[in-house]
Amino acid sequence: MLSSFFFLAAAEDGADAGKAIALALGIGLGSLGAGIGIGNIFGSMIQAVARQPELRGELTGIQWLGFALTEAVVFYGLIGGLLAYVLV
Amino acid sequence: MKRLLSALLLAALVLPTSALAAEPATKEDKGAFISEEWELHEWVPIHLGPLNLSINKAVAYLLLGALCSCLIGILLMRVKLGRGPTRRQAVGETIYEVAQVQVAEQGLPTKAIGRWFPYVATLMIFIWTVNMLGFIPLPLSDEKVTIAGVELPTLAIFAATSTLSVTLALALMTFVFTHVEGIRANGAWRYFKSWIPEVPKVMLPLIIPLEILGQFMRLISLSVRLYANMLAGHMLILTFVGLIIVLENVFLAIVAVPAAALFYLFEVVIVVSIQAYIFAALSAIYIGSAIEPEH
Repeated sequence: MLSSFFFLAAAEDGADAGKAIALALGIGLGSLGAGIGIGNIFGSMIQAVARQPELRGELTGIQWLGFALTEAVVFYGLIGGLLAYVLV
Repeated sequence: MKRLLSALLLAALVLPTSALAAEPATKEDKGAFISEEWELHEWVPIHLGPLNLSINKAVAYLLLGALCSCLIGILLMRVKLGRGPTRRQAVGETIYEVAQVQVAEQGLPTKAIGRWFPYVATLMIFIWTVNMLGFIPLPLSDEKVTIAGVELPTLAIFAATSTLSVTLALALMTFVFTHVEGIRANGAWRYFKSWIPEVPKVMLPLIIPLEILGQFMRLISLSVRLYANMLAGHMLILTFVGLIIVLENVFLAIVAVPAAALFYLFEVVIVVSIQAYIFAALSAIYIGSAIEPEH
């Protein structure tokens, strides 16, 4: 099922190759968005701490919450891609 | 010197993953050993009618995780409190403070902390333990290796939280508790009414299905977030180490092993703790928002 998922360079089946390209493109575009989002979060955090260093402790929790929520978006893409790869 | 030693130790920890690779059967299926890591074979078959309660790799990891989190609780929290805190007490208090200040007080209203703090703190410690066990090579795999005539399971890294059923069960608990607690605190009618925001009446047929769907999307996002994070982390490590075997080139190890070690470090240092924290914090926020809806 999932077996030949990883190293499709050797795949001779055109459909499989197409699926692999779609999966890679999907994850790539997904991580593009998440990358921008995570950069935004840490950038804002740096600014906030630079302005008010005493708030650092309180902000850290919110920062990691935002980080994980944003980062998860890539993995939704990954799981969606895997599902599409296996099922279609 | 110390750094060199720790780097070597890390490499020694990561390297056993390459031992997972069985001889690839056919040319096309060279990468198969990676996905085979997530195939669960029944060790002790237990079938109750249609229910399959067999003990497999993930169940063994879960049991071990439960045992370890109990031990963490007993060893770190049941210490004799004293004037000069020992290191054990300090670590225990740090964990307690994170659970209290960062998780419980952020999401739960003050009146509900007493009831729901144990739940979210348990979630945090349990998920952290299971995640962490997933990055320690343990002899709990399906493959066997013969050493001096004794057949032993190979060392492997596998996290129980990288199977969807485990995270879905955890998320279902939060889901059920959220609604039970919401109904108990507000009454059924007021609680379900609080789901729907104040919008013009024309919009209601559109908004109501969306809001109900949104409640179920929480279930999916909560479980898939943890599942996919752990799955992707393990896959990355296994893929990098597995590249050596797939491409049949030993010199690839110069690049692949440090890359795998880097991902290993990233997962262990950041992802494991963040995911445990996020799961507990979001559970607290969901339960808290059900107890005290915004309007």
